[in-house]
Amino acid sequence: MGHAEETSIGVYSGRHYNSDQKLYKQFTAKTGIQVKLLEAKDDSLIERLRQEGKNTPADVLVLVDAARLERAASLDLLQPARSAALLRTVPLSLRDSKGRWVGLTRRVRVVLVNPALVNAASIRTYGDLANPALKGKLCLRDRKSVYNQSLVASQILIRGDAQASRWVKGMTSNVSQPYFSSDIPLIRALGSGQCGVGLVNTYYLARLLNGESGPADRALARKLQVVFPKPAHVNISGAGITRYAKNPQAALKLIEFLASPVGGKGYAEANHEYPLKGYGDDAILKGMGRFQADGLSAEQLGSRNRDAVKLMEANGWL
Amino acid sequence: MPSAPEPWPLALAVALVGLLALAPLAALGLVASQGQALAGLQLGDQGLAPLANTLTLVLGVGCAGGLIGTCNGWLTARCQFPGRRWLRLAQLLPLATPSYLLAGTLIDLGSRSGYRIGGLGWAIAVLGLGTYSYVVLLSSEAFSRTGARQQEVCRSLAVGPWGSFLRVALPLALPAVAAGMALGAMEVVNDFGAVQLLGVPTLSAAILERWQGEGDLPGAVALALVTLVLVALLLWSERQGRRRSRLWAAGQEGASPELWPLQGWRCWLAQLVTLAPPLASLGIPLVWAWTSWNQLPAQPAGDLVALGLRSLALALGATGLTLVAALVLSIGKRLVKANGVQLLADGAGLGYAIPGTVLALGFLLLGGGWGLAPLLLLVWGYVDRFLAVAKGGLDTALEGLAPSVDEAAQSLGCDWVGLVRRIQLPLLRGPLLVAGLLVFVDTVKELPLTFALRPFDFDTLAVRVYQYASDERLGAALVPALVIQVLGLLAASALMPSLDQELPDRTDQPKPAQSTVS
Repeated sequence: MGHAEETSIGVYSGRHYNSDQKLYKQFTAKTGIQVKLLEAKDDSLIERLRQEGKNTPADVLVLVDAARLERAASLDLLQPARSAALLRTVPLSLRDSKGRWVGLTRRVRVVLVNPALVNAASIRTYGDLANPALKGKLCLRDRKSVYNQSLVASQILIRGDAQASRWVKGMTSNVSQPYFSSDIPLIRALGSGQCGVGLVNTYYLARLLNGESGPADRALARKLQVVFPKPAHVNISGAGITRYAKNPQAALKLIEFLASPVGGKGYAEANHEYPLKGYGDDAILKGMGRFQADGLSAEQLGSRNRDAVKLMEANGWL
Repeated sequence: MPSAPEPWPLALAVALVGLLALAPLAALGLVASQGQALAGLQLGDQGLAPLANTLTLVLGVGCAGGLIGTCNGWLTARCQFPGRRWLRLAQLLPLATPSYLLAGTLIDLGSRSGYRIGGLGWAIAVLGLGTYSYVVLLSSEAFSRTGARQQEVCRSLAVGPWGSFLRVALPLALPAVAAGMALGAMEVVNDFGAVQLLGVPTLSAAILERWQGEGDLPGAVALALVTLVLVALLLWSERQGRRRSRLWAAGQEGASPELWPLQGWRCWLAQLVTLAPPLASLGIPLVWAWTSWNQLPAQPAGDLVALGLRSLALALGATGLTLVAALVLSIGKRLVKANGVQLLADGAGLGYAIPGTVLALGFLLLGGGWGLAPLLLLVWGYVDRFLAVAKGGLDTALEGLAPSVDEAAQSLGCDWVGLVRRIQLPLLRGPLLVAGLLVFVDTVKELPLTFALRPFDFDTLAVRVYQYASDERLGAALVPALVIQVLGLLAASALMPSLDQELPDRTDQPKPAQSTVS
């Protein structure tokens, strides 16, 4: 019985890509450790873990977005892991300083431009989106998007509260269309010329460029131009070992595998994300060009998430 | 009322069911009490906009659902036109289509052709479509039940189909229509996915933002509970309003009513009106599939079967238990006059008006403390959530039965067990079938509870649909969604014939006009 327990771990995951499961199978084949999986919304998982306390069957918690990882850590749901391998594979800015979670993949929130309407060279930083010249041309997703929240958190960290406030206010007064509730319709609105410039995550554009939603979308996406603002805002998905994991050693093995070049590659490529280091092998992502990350730690981003939401609410970001 | 002895075993059962149903709400109350009391009730910078949006939605969806639902309920239950039987089954399709999927598909189709879909109007259309089936099923059952005698009356007074509908059938079916509309309203209050996609900030969105955006859990739960009180008041006032115009039937119909035959343009119109809503809910996803067939990824059939079997097993279990619980509450409410029992029976169904994500939290609190098995917790959650759906029809059916029937039975020496077994249960057969159907379909497509409470490696159809749709991968979401619709249709075709048989010798005359394949 003791042996059976050793060879199986429970994973709560806020990611849901079918190819993730292939990767877990690969891990099982390699280590003999079975992976039991529960995928749900990140916030529900955090709450479930919290309520289950010591009874939890979960050993590993996988979450999308730095703010949520930080929340799980601050609620004491994760335990520190000591691993030389993780220190080697995960860059400093992509892991918790106390070792409670590590990043596994990266995504960048970029400026996307329809060159027929807006000159891409006029935008060099996120700050340029507040330029009154873009009035009526800027389109945004709503503030419920955790990607937007983390972006604003990054700007609060870089520019300070007052300037970040002015920036958000400037952007929201440039928006004349209703806020979008998802990224792909926003990209289509850019392609069709309803919007001139917008903010999107790299992987949504990559999916369209890859033809995953048909040739029409691919043709439309090809007309658009990606601008990596300098510096660019990088967000992560990541994982940690739960506070009451029954099998922390096996849990660490899974995280090490996912952070390793082999596992990390699979996790990233499942969704056109960037691996922890470099640009990966995804030809479409490579075609978008190189970026210079802002160097902010995911931990910092997470800690300013609440301030970001309040600031967006106060400055008219619907 | 002759003072028969109170049936205390029944009172005990009501207490048990009621307390089990209210336990998660009490757990939520505990969470809310940890916050800063009234300060937790601010709606944020948008002020009263979420409240106004929710009320507009409730009103709009209520009117649209009530109108189309009553109309289609009457047409499919009491009129005769080619295709009626099939169209009656099809009325369930919109209920089997998850609203967030419909909204997502619409938005996606619109964005391809450069059209922005969103706002209150679209939200009313999508949610109205998703909830009008409640009114159709409850009202058509009521129309059938009160059919024959009403027809005799109309005949003898030379009242035509319209008069018969407006002056006789509608007033008798009004409690059922109201019950259906109330279910629709509660669904509107708890919906989160569709309104969020359509960009309408509602109360449920404000609640979830308090929790997930600002990390203020007690504030979010307090807001949910206040919403609950508002809904309870709304329902209570509706019931009070109806109490003054109560209409009773004194037992079961003897003969079966004939159907009003429709001819010419009336027939066309009836077909159009009953076909349009199911066509929309099936057609929009199919149009999407048609325009994007190249995006439909190959799904392993074995996987789909496993998902479907889990959904089916959960739904069957939950439906059975929900019906038992609802029966206990409805019959208990009628037979036990004690105030506490009345209150418990009425309050037990309120879980339906809370956003599912928040209700799930209540269950996590209970389950976490006691270390309950996730599956047990999940089924308990389903029963709690859909108790209102099952109870609505049963309550209105019992409400329409004159109290003199109970009194007569008791004066003839019938104890309460005999009264339930020999009079009430046979009368409740039709409403029970309808309730079972509604709960089954609702459970198969239920998302927030399943998502938050299920055990490891236990995905269902609805879970898979949502995972893909929320990640903006509609193509992958569509196939499991179609399987949900198929399950709903199968359940409907299994139960509808028995619903038709409920009235003895009911046949669809005249035969030649019939286009059904039987």
